[in-house]
Amino acid sequence: MWRSRTAFLILLVLTVPAFAQSGARAESEQVKILALENAWNQAIQGKDRAALDMLMGADLVYVDYDGTLMSKADYLASVKSSPQHPARVVSEFMNVNLYEGVAVVNGIYRESGEKNGKPYMLRERFTDTWLRREDKWICVASQSTLISH
Amino acid sequence: MKPLALVLTLLCSAPSVVGAQPSGDSAARSSILALEHAWDQALERQDIKGLADIFDNGLMYVDYDGKLLTKTDYLARVKLNKDNFQQVVSGDLIVQIFGSTAIAVGSYRAAGTEGGKPFVRRGRFVDTWILEGKNWICIAASTTSIQH
Repeated sequence: MWRSRTAFLILLVLTVPAFAQSGARAESEQVKILALENAWNQAIQGKDRAALDMLMGADLVYVDYDGTLMSKADYLASVKSSPQHPARVVSEFMNVNLYEGVAVVNGIYRESGEKNGKPYMLRERFTDTWLRREDKWICVASQSTLISH
Repeated sequence: MKPLALVLTLLCSAPSVVGAQPSGDSAARSSILALEHAWDQALERQDIKGLADIFDNGLMYVDYDGKLLTKTDYLARVKLNKDNFQQVVSGDLIVQIFGSTAIAVGSYRAAGTEGGKPFVRRGRFVDTWILEGKNWICIAASTTSIQH
């Protein structure tokens, strides 16, 4: 039994067979990656560690919006222990650049919720690098930058 | 060809050009480290040709203020020299190799002047490289100001 709805959705996305034609396949891969990005947002909102674990490679490098460098273990621990309680996590815009076995997603991420009893809002530009490993996409690098321009 | 552009051409195809090299991941790691260093030098010298050789045409670059730049945008910005970089130093560089993909993570310190006023910026970057033929090219780069 899956521990969470998000984890189940991620499994579905990861196991959908790819189309045979290359053009359609590329489009299908992009759709798959965007679905995984959205699942990531859901997992953050629900602080769903199991779902996040499925999305990331063991060797993930994560750079948070304040420049903190984290490993996968650090990141998962930070999501769980964070004083921030996100009520709404959305990507306003996402673009996928697809290469052979590699995808780079760039987008704008907006998170709002409550932190120490006060409302907060973050708006960041993110860059995620995904690798295809045995027909599954996993994230190996993720970086966020606060939008200040 | 400017000297740095020549160095970059050699670095991009290092394993086949420079003779006996360490094999596998170690050779790839050395190439990426050298390219990252060359990138810093090219910025200081405003070597547009050298930089252009490093990047894929589909490069997505996120600047420290969250601005998204294409390869053309980025090169134009370097050419304009608004930041008047006098020194760019990268440190704590880690390179992870995943077959024909490499992730480089490091910190940097950039010093220059903007609007006549000196500035120093500290940031963290993540660069994604792919092996295209015998050359490593950068397909994505992102920087974040270090605030702690």
